[in-house]
Amino acid sequence: MAFEYPSHSTTATSSSASGNAKKRKTRSDSSSPFPRVRNPRNSHRPKNSPFADFGSYMVDKNKKLREQFDSAASTSSIQDSGDGKKGIFHGVSIFVDGFTVPSSQELKAYMLKHGGRFENYFSTHTVTHIICSHLPDSKMRNFRAFSRGLPVVKPAWVLDCVAANKLLSWVPYQLHELVNKTTKQQKLSAFFSHKGILSLKNVETPVKQNLKADAECLLSKDEGPRDTVLSVEDQVSECREQGSDDNDKTCEEKSSEAKFTDLEDEHSVVRASDSSLHTPSYMDNSSCIDHKNRKEASDIKCARASNQSHSTLMDPNFVENYFRNSRLHFIGTWRNRYRKRFSNMLSEVKGSKANINSGMQKPAIIHMDMDCFFVSVIVRNYPELIDKPVAVCHSDNPKGTAEISSANYPARDYGVRAGMFVRDAKARCPHLVIVPYDFEAYEEVADQFYTILHNHCNKVQALSCDEAFLDVTERGNDNPEQIASMIRKEIAETTRCTASSGIAENLLLARLATRSAKPNGQCFIPSEKVDDYLYGLPVMALPGIGHALGEKLKSRQVETCGQLRMVSKEALHMDFGTKIGDMLWNYCRGIDDRMVEVVQETKSIGADVNWGVRFDDITDCQNFLMNLCKEVSLRLQGCGMQGRTITLKVKKRKKGAEEPIKFMGCGDCETMSRSMTIPVPTDNIVPLQRITKQIFASLHIDVKEIRGIGLQISKLESVDIRRQGHEENTLESWLTSSSEKVKAQHKKISSSVKQYTGEVSSADAEPQPKCINCGNQQACEHSKSIYIKETGSCPSDVNQCSTRSHENRTSALPPLCHLDIDVIKSLPQEIISEMNDMYKGELCLFMEKCEEKDGRGDAHLSAKSPAENDTISASSYQQVGCDTSENMTVGPSDSGKLDSSARNKGKQPLCYPAVCMSNLANESKAFNPEAKEFTTEMSMARTSCKVQSAYASCSKSDDLLIRAPTLIDLMPSSLTQADASVLEQLPEDLKVDIIESLPAHRAVNSVGNAPHGFVGAFPNSVEVQNSEYPESHLWSGSPPKWVEMFQTSNCLILNIIAEMYTKSRANGLLSSIFQSIFSFLPSTSESWSEEWDEALSSLCELLKQYVNLKIESDIEELYNCFCVLKRCCSMSNLLLEVYNNVLPLLQASVSENYGGTLKL
Amino acid sequence: MDRKNPSPQGETARVVVEFLEVAITSIVFLKGFYPPGAFERRRYMNVVVHKARHPQLSNYIHSATSDLLPFIEKGLVERVTVIFYDKEHVPVERFVFKLNLNQSYSSKVEENSLEFALRAFLIKLTVAKPVTKPLPSGSSWEITAYFRALAQDDSKEARLWIPTDTKQWLQPPHITPIKSMSSEPLKVQLYLEHPSPSEPKVQTG
Repeated sequence: MAFEYPSHSTTATSSSASGNAKKRKTRSDSSSPFPRVRNPRNSHRPKNSPFADFGSYMVDKNKKLREQFDSAASTSSIQDSGDGKKGIFHGVSIFVDGFTVPSSQELKAYMLKHGGRFENYFSTHTVTHIICSHLPDSKMRNFRAFSRGLPVVKPAWVLDCVAANKLLSWVPYQLHELVNKTTKQQKLSAFFSHKGILSLKNVETPVKQNLKADAECLLSKDEGPRDTVLSVEDQVSECREQGSDDNDKTCEEKSSEAKFTDLEDEHSVVRASDSSLHTPSYMDNSSCIDHKNRKEASDIKCARASNQSHSTLMDPNFVENYFRNSRLHFIGTWRNRYRKRFSNMLSEVKGSKANINSGMQKPAIIHMDMDCFFVSVIVRNYPELIDKPVAVCHSDNPKGTAEISSANYPARDYGVRAGMFVRDAKARCPHLVIVPYDFEAYEEVADQFYTILHNHCNKVQALSCDEAFLDVTERGNDNPEQIASMIRKEIAETTRCTASSGIAENLLLARLATRSAKPNGQCFIPSEKVDDYLYGLPVMALPGIGHALGEKLKSRQVETCGQLRMVSKEALHMDFGTKIGDMLWNYCRGIDDRMVEVVQETKSIGADVNWGVRFDDITDCQNFLMNLCKEVSLRLQGCGMQGRTITLKVKKRKKGAEEPIKFMGCGDCETMSRSMTIPVPTDNIVPLQRITKQIFASLHIDVKEIRGIGLQISKLESVDIRRQGHEENTLESWLTSSSEKVKAQHKKISSSVKQYTGEVSSADAEPQPKCINCGNQQACEHSKSIYIKETGSCPSDVNQCSTRSHENRTSALPPLCHLDIDVIKSLPQEIISEMNDMYKGELCLFMEKCEEKDGRGDAHLSAKSPAENDTISASSYQQVGCDTSENMTVGPSDSGKLDSSARNKGKQPLCYPAVCMSNLANESKAFNPEAKEFTTEMSMARTSCKVQSAYASCSKSDDLLIRAPTLIDLMPSSLTQADASVLEQLPEDLKVDIIESLPAHRAVNSVGNAPHGFVGAFPNSVEVQNSEYPESHLWSGSPPKWVEMFQTSNCLILNIIAEMYTKSRANGLLSSIFQSIFSFLPSTSESWSEEWDEALSSLCELLKQYVNLKIESDIEELYNCFCVLKRCCSMSNLLLEVYNNVLPLLQASVSENYGGTLKL
Repeated sequence: MDRKNPSPQGETARVVVEFLEVAITSIVFLKGFYPPGAFERRRYMNVVVHKARHPQLSNYIHSATSDLLPFIEKGLVERVTVIFYDKEHVPVERFVFKLNLNQSYSSKVEENSLEFALRAFLIKLTVAKPVTKPLPSGSSWEITAYFRALAQDDSKEARLWIPTDTKQWLQPPHITPIKSMSSEPLKVQLYLEHPSPSEPKVQTG
């Protein structure tokens, strides 16, 4: 904080100086109502006293202006009627900053008339109020520096004072309050649209109301000693699935919870009767301040209030105490208690859940809600209070800013509402009795309440500790009204508190019905009366419609559900978005398709403290964080959950924001949050603290500015489930298509893997519970076991490890029908062919059948090729650590082998090459976790083997592919050794199959032609083939083919390009050609459509091939080329078209090769 | 390695490494990361270049580039980047040298043409200021190399390089090419990467 001051003071001087400058300007060109002498030397000052400096000049000038003002005032003032009554503005001295409505001159006139003063130059000594309507952002940010602690008031204040003929409080007219609420400067667009103006108005009204309320607070503060009522905000941070539902109880309570913080005060009713002179202590008396201190405290500016008791500064056990005293915390943690307590009942329900919807009975929902729960639980022990107005609050200090959390019905008759400040409530109802919380009693009653509910119905959705939905559909033979009254009676007997209930066919209506039923009643809305009931219902009564939405609707003249029904769904979607639009549309028709959900999943667990957070230094803050971690850790353990994502949320005082009105509140803050996800879920305090510290450090925040801290743990997992191991996994998608049978087979396989681990040279293939991802493991075991089988079954001489158990293994072979064809298909080709062997060729048939493809299956399978394939796979498996690439090498002369793999391809065109690629990815994924269990070396080697073999098999046929750009580092060098002649020797139909299966690889196409060195391998080049010049490559030859083509074209622009190219033979770069045709562009007409088409397609083609040609070696040239082209676009529609056509290809190619997009 | 009769790859790698040292220094100078006084004018490949005066700075650049030599020679280095970070250590700008050294090239290296091609980079770099972004305050920079594969041998050179956990951009970056060259057996491309406008902004404290 200290380092801020110098900067403030400098800006202060500059801003006031600029104010002065402005002032001077307005003054000189405004027509003054009274004569003014411009030249100070002509005034009554002795001429021979020259000013020593500017300062003395100003002093004199100000003095003169004041005198002029006084003299003008004496003539125009209405207050000198002789009765000695002073004008309403007596003692007020205003300074007008900037443009105002009314103008500064008018304001001055008012001041003259009503006994105030008007200062032309700002000075803290003379000015009492600063009047302005707008402030620039810079002044807004350094507001305190600008205002020097003086009130900055809108001109309306002066007008209103004049109108009321008395000095009104300036507080509601404060400028900075307004700006804080609307924050942003108005956008220019707002002035143009009618809507903008409308919405402006909408903003203004609520703000005004707020300000007025604030004004009352401030006034009372001025009168009496400042009250030290404490407020606590505890955002109970358990996210529930129906978060809003949980919180909105009665309408009033809802508003308190949604809008405001929960006010609490240790300084409660229990406090000594005469303690009004004593500052109440919050948690421990050590932090008590005596009366004197308190008076002082009341006098000092709010800004200095930060170092007071009850904050994190003074109380070492702040976090603990904070949550011990929080009502919202009680409500939040109550759910966990509930879940634990009723878990056995809940699980029973779970079992019966399946058959719930089977019966088509008319649904019947009961909404049960205790009447003013927090009050009545207390009042039941004080019979004398029953008919008196009672409210629950932490503090009964009549001047306090503690908020009432609940009030009983007699109190509500006086207008006391939840969320009200105690002093306002007391003002409405002076004999209001305020009682403190009794959390133990609440717990007891809530438990009783739910026990009763569960006794009557097994489908109970707990909304809060005092509110629940019951689905009594199943008890169709009983009248739901009777059930409700029975339950209510029982509740009243057991708990000595009353409950109300609403009965209807869905949750929404049941809840609405409860409201009409309250207090202590019940209401049934039969389905035929729903429309009538809703018709006149104000929209604000619907759950989910708060102030903001209500105001919005109101501005569209929609105030009742009936009116809302007139609005079409589309219009609602337009105005409010799909989600809220749907909600509005449904709710106003009484439609609500939510179900009564028994168990709600907890999404996150955490703790937020946004009240009383003040730190002096980093150790304070660290301490606090550690305590918060402890709290969160305890909560996690309490719920039996562990989480992976840790989110730290920090509220930081907004720059320039003053100390909040609410004592020790968080005030105007900006919220920052960071999160971090760890691989293993935890509920342990140690890692929690470590990570929290780490996150906090990454925020780089001044601890003095912190006003609130929250810690959330999400990605929760139940501890029990975790112990069993993960059920979800990333590879799930790979296996999802599996039928149940296949899953069983997987198990079988993995068990067989266990059986043979000894023979396999891996260290330990035992599935271990500590393995991070079970699914992965399973998957890799699956593939591993395939290996085992294959190696076992193939009669290869290289295979030494498993001949012994050969028979054993074949016996483990699952029946063909148990295989998942999808899984098989995504296996590498050799494996498939090996499996095919194991199934004596039936697998291929099976697959063919599955795909309904005509294949040339087993007839083609020569005896030689599978054996060789086996060799590959077996050796790649066995020869760990050897130079696998050697084994993998496919000799170009080995046509039989190529033959076989190519034939396989023919049978399974779907596999290539995309499948292979994804397969690679899959496999490397599957192998990564495996690496933890095997020796690293081994799995590495095997991965590379598989990669190579998979790739070798898929690319053997496209032997002309000189380079595969995406996988250049994975490609075995043997690929290049493959030979086109081999492919040509293949049977014709097979070749066609191969070519079809590899549409992306143009190289295959050029089998018949002369192969060229540079052949792009982009998927897009398929288009190239399909278009005008399918056979040839435009850029091959010297000069390239296109030159001749363009020269002979009818199209002028093409001719020019060709000509330019021949001229610039030196480099032959397209960019320089485009640059040189720039000057020709205006002369080329672009009228004739045929020409246009030809030119367009030729140019697109040319550029596309150029992109393919250059993408790897020279993006600079491409960049230049497209930059020039872009420049040409403004002159030629043709080139614009070309540019737009080719740009996507360029960007796709760039992102493929460089992982980004060109900035053009 | 045979000093007298080096392979074309070794020879090229030597030139590249030297070039990288100069080019990286030029980039740092270009960005104005240090006051101009921290550099002195030198002549390299017949172009005026800047050399860091501060021993630590010049040593960092020199050691970083020269330690790449064995890997460049083997064609293991795919990209060498100079990354500028903001104060949150989020990259704001990356100068990427994409290298491609043809391993199967076996004829003699035309060192002159190689140097001629590389010189164009240095010239282009001196005028590349307009395409770069001004550095935010509190920024830092570092040299990062992207390897095609991890070095198998756990040699001394390999251990000099440590894996980074540099923050990555979530969106594909915007690329502004600066210079490309291709002179057998070497291909070098220098381009700039900036975070794309749709890159989620990190909330700054």
